[in-house]
Amino acid sequence: MADDKTPQAPPAEEKKTAAEERAATPERPAEKSEASKKPAPPKGWEPTGDIVSSPVTEKLLAEYGGAVSGIPNSCGEATVRVKKEYLIEILSFLKNDPATAMNYLSDLTAVHFPDNEKVFEVVYHLYSMSLGHSLRLRVGLDDGESCPTATGVWKTANWHEREVHDMFGIVFEGHPNLKTILLPEKWDGHPLRKEYPLGGPKEEKIRAGAFERPVYLPDDAEEAAKIIREIKDAE
Amino acid sequence: MPNEALTPKVEAPLRKALESKEMELNMGPQHPATHGVFRAILSLDGEKVVGIEPVIGYLHRGIEKWAEFRTYQQAAPIFDRLDYVGAVINSHAYVQAVEKLLQVEIPKKAQYIRVVLDELQRIANHLLWLGTHALDLGAMTVLFYCLREREVIMDLFEAMLGQRLLPNAYPIGGVRFDFPRNWEKVCRDFLERFPRLVDDYEKLLSENRIWKQRTRGIGIVTPEEAIDLGLSGPTLRGSGVNFDVRKAMPYSSYEDFDFEVPLGTRGDVYDRYMCRVREMRQSTRIVSQALDGMPEGELKAKMSKIIKPKAGEAYACVEGTKGQLGFYIVSDGSKQPWRVHVRAPSFVNLQGLETMVMGELVADVVANIGSLDIVLGEVDR
Repeated sequence: MADDKTPQAPPAEEKKTAAEERAATPERPAEKSEASKKPAPPKGWEPTGDIVSSPVTEKLLAEYGGAVSGIPNSCGEATVRVKKEYLIEILSFLKNDPATAMNYLSDLTAVHFPDNEKVFEVVYHLYSMSLGHSLRLRVGLDDGESCPTATGVWKTANWHEREVHDMFGIVFEGHPNLKTILLPEKWDGHPLRKEYPLGGPKEEKIRAGAFERPVYLPDDAEEAAKIIREIKDAE
Repeated sequence: MPNEALTPKVEAPLRKALESKEMELNMGPQHPATHGVFRAILSLDGEKVVGIEPVIGYLHRGIEKWAEFRTYQQAAPIFDRLDYVGAVINSHAYVQAVEKLLQVEIPKKAQYIRVVLDELQRIANHLLWLGTHALDLGAMTVLFYCLREREVIMDLFEAMLGQRLLPNAYPIGGVRFDFPRNWEKVCRDFLERFPRLVDDYEKLLSENRIWKQRTRGIGIVTPEEAIDLGLSGPTLRGSGVNFDVRKAMPYSSYEDFDFEVPLGTRGDVYDRYMCRVREMRQSTRIVSQALDGMPEGELKAKMSKIIKPKAGEAYACVEGTKGQLGFYIVSDGSKQPWRVHVRAPSFVNLQGLETMVMGELVADVVANIGSLDIVLGEVDR
C-alpha cells in the first residue's frame, strides 16, 4: 500500500508538536500520495497472478490438505501458506520424503505487512538438490506471536532465525541460541519493521523551506527547540 | 619404550592440580586473518579449539532497510557494497530479481555480456582470495602475482564500465554499454596468458610440502553436514556436492556454455583451495566461449522507464563468487520495493566455521577462515 511507504513522513513543525503530528500520521501521507486520487486501495498486501501448481505442491495438498493453501504468484514460483501448528511437521516431511527430497534450505526471512490480517510472514525457500525443484513456504504470524524453530530440521536455520529475531522481533520457540547477531547487544527496536524510521529511533524530520531535513535532536527539550530554530533561521 | 628413570613421577593430587583449564581467546575484531571486522571467541584446551563463538555485525549498514526507501533503480548501486570484491555479480543478482518481478526477457547479447563480466569478476575475486589466503598461511609471493593479474581485470572494468571496484554494472533490463574499441583484444590476450599464470600459482602451492601440511585434512566438512549447514559455492563443492547455480538453475544463457564444475573429495581446506583454482580455469573457458559466440542485437530490453512491478514476490539467485547469492524481493505495486532480502552466501557459509574448527589446532582457525572466502560487507549487510 502506497501510504505505508512513508511511515516516518510526518514533518514535525516543532519538537513539542511532534507527538500530535505523529498521531495524525494515517491521514497525512494519504493526502500527498497519488493513491488518494484513485479509489481507495485494497487493505493489506495482495499478491497478483495465478496459483502455481507443481508436483510438490500437489503432494503437499494431498498429504496435508487442511494445513496448506496455495498463494498466487506472478513469476511462476510455487508458493504455499502453511498453518503454524503443522510447520515443522511439513518441513520434515518435505525434507525426508523421497518424492519431494527438499534437502536444502536456501533462505529464511520475514516480511512485515502492518495492514494485513497476519502482520508478519516468515518465508522459507526450499530447494531439492537431487530433483532440482524449489518451493516457497510462508507462515503468517500476529504481532508478538512466536514461531517454532526450524533448527531441528536444518542447522542452517540457526543464524537466519537469529537475524529475523533481530530485525523483526519474532521469537523462535526452541531455538538453541536466540540472541542478537547483526545488531549491537541491547539495541532498542527492530529495524526492518515498517514503523521503524530509516534514520533510527531518534530521527526527526524538520521542514525548512521546501525540503524536509532529517536531524537528530538531543533529549533536552530546550536544546532541541534551539536547534530547530537555527535550522529555520538558516533558510 | 620410555626410560622409566627419566619419566617424572607425578603424585595423584599433583596431577589433578596440573589438569588444564579452558582458556578464552579473543580473535579479532581487528585481526589480519579475518579479512575484515570479524570476532571469534575461541575456547582453548591447550592448543586445541573446543569452542568457538563467532561475533558479527560490526559492518551492519542496514542495506535492506535502506533499499525500501528508494526506487528500484536508485537501490541498485548499494548492492555493489555487499561483497565489494565481487560487485558485478551482486549487481547481476539484484537486477535479475527485479527482471523476474517485471517478467522481462533481456536480449541475448546483453546476457552474453553479463556472462563475460561476471566470469571476469569471478576470476578477480578468486585471485584476491588466493593471494590473501596464501598470505595468511605464510606464502607471501603468491599475493604479488595475484594482484598483478587482478589489475588487468580491474583495468578492463574501468575501460568498459568507468569504475574499477564498484561499477554498478547493470541497469534493470540489460547492460549499459557494448565493449569499447580494442577491449575484446586486450581481454583475449589476457585469457590466453591466464591459464599459464594459474600454472605458476599452482607450482608455488599445490605440491608445496608446507602448504599441504597446513591444508590437507584440516577443517573437514562431510557432504551431509555441508548441505545441512546450507553451505554453497566452492565451500560446498569442496566437500564433493555437485551443486552450482549456473548448472542447476541456468540463468543468463549459462546453458549455452561448456564448462565443468570442479569438485573436491575430502572436504578439507586443500580441496576448497583446489576447487577455486580450477574454477578460475573454467571461468577463462566460459569468457572465451562467450566472446566467440557473441550474438548481435540490442543491449537493453524494451521496457517502461518507470519501474513498477505488480504486487508479488520473486526470488532469484546467481552463482556468486562465494556461493548462492539470492535476492528475495516483495513488491506492493509501487515504485519502491516493499522488502528486499539478500541471501548472502558469506553469512551462511560462516556458520560452517564451527563445524570446521572444532577439535583442531588454534593455528588452523586462520586456514579455515581463509578457506571460507568471507567478505564481511556481505556477512553483515
